[in-house]
Order: sequence, then C-alpha cells, then structure tokens
Amino acid sequence: MSSIITLTLPGDILFARLASQTASSIARLLADDQQTETESCVFAHAFELAVTEAFTNSVTHAPENATSAMVTVTFLFEQPHLTVSISDANEPFTIETPAPDIESFPENGFGLLIIRKLMDRVIYRRDGEWNILSMSKSL
Amino acid sequence: MIITETSKGDIAILAPDGKLDHDSAPEIRQNRSIIDPDKMVVIDLEKVDFIDDSGLGAIICALRNKRNANGVTVLSGMNHRLRIIFEITNIHKLFNIFDDVAPTIEYLETRQIERT
Repeated sequence: MSSIITLTLPGDILFARLASQTASSIARLLADDQQTETESCVFAHAFELAVTEAFTNSVTHAPENATSAMVTVTFLFEQPHLTVSISDANEPFTIETPAPDIESFPENGFGLLIIRKLMDRVIYRRDGEWNILSMSKSL
Repeated sequence: MIITETSKGDIAILAPDGKLDHDSAPEIRQNRSIIDPDKMVVIDLEKVDFIDDSGLGAIICALRNKRNANGVTVLSGMNHRLRIIFEITNIHKLFNIFDDVAPTIEYLETRQIERT
C-alpha cells in the first residue's frame, strides 16, 4: 500500500518553510514508529533540508515574469521508501553539476550537492514542460 | 531570527537563534560587526538548529569580508547535524571551528596579542 500527499504552492520563497516543514513532519511521522529518536530526527532533517534546497531552486530559477508560477510538492510513501518530488515549469536543468570550488569562497550553489549527499536516490526528469526532481530515502 | 550580540574588546560574538535560511541569512550578511573591518567575529551556532545553502552563503560571506580586511571569523558550538552539512559541502575546511565559545575567545585573544 502506498500513500500520496500533494501540495501545490505559489512559486514564492515565502512558502519554502511551509514545504520543508511539511516534509519534516511527514518524515518524522513515518520514522517515529520504526526508528530511534535520533534516527527519526536525522531522517526528518534530511527531508526538511532537501525540500528547502529543491523548492528554493525552483523559485530562484523561475523566469522573472512568472508571477503565477506554481511549485508542486508530492510525497509518496512506499514502505520503506519516502520520495518527495518537486515539480516546476522552469527551463530544464541538470543535477550533474560539479561541487562548488570551496577555495573561491562560493556564497551559493551548494543546494544540489546537499540533496545528493543526504538522499539515497535523486532522479531528474523532464515531462513535457515540467521539471520533476525526485528525492528518495529509505527508513 | 534573533541574533544576540556581545563583545569583548575587538571580538564580537554573534549568537543567532533558530533557522539560518533564506529568510534570516541577510541578517548575518548585514550585521555591523561582520561589516566592520576592525572586529574579529565569533559566530556561535549553538542555538542554530537548521542551515541551508543561503545560511552557508552568509557564513562564507562573513569569512570573505574579514579575509579581505585581514580580519578573522571563527565558528563555535555547532551541533552534530550542522557539522555534517559543513563537512559534506567541505565548508569546514575554510574555518577554525571550536566546540564552545570560551576557547574560541582565547584563540582570538592570542591572535590579537600576536597582531599588536
């Protein structure tokens, strides 16, 4: 049995915390029964941070005139995997970007690196006009 | 975000409390002690429970400002989750990181004596 929850949010940075805190709450709810307190916190934090980064990227890469842009956040739980997919109608992108060169003191660009490191599996696909970034981690 | 600021001589200790993210990162970037070239800065992360790309960028901005002015920024008090984020991004390699504020201040005072 699988469970799906979908949020459709305005593409505004103001909603990043709503998306990430929802991710944290769902992850925590699923993990609490099966993991220790510490493991559950780590699992929830990973999703909170990954969704923050993905949602922020969706908003910051939206075209300037896309005032009505929406970002969809879909949670799919298929025991033991929780997958969060972030969808937007921005230009296509790649997740195979190199890590920022730390010696140049970069002040951004860590988002995809953090997502790749925290999640078990990260998949990007283009579906028509939609970018879909799926991030999975197992309990 | 609340940032508590105390000072000891030319050392400013900034203690942000809460989430260091897109909303709150500008408060670090625009902090007067971060901008002041004569201040050495400790950013005490003990009460920060979350940091994202924007928060990391603000911390690196503080480091960059101080280095350009031949100053110093050091970090203290980060919890295990934050330390993991610093390590997976390699940002920990840019900073002196201490477990607590007290040894951080000792370190900076020693540097201050060496500079005078």
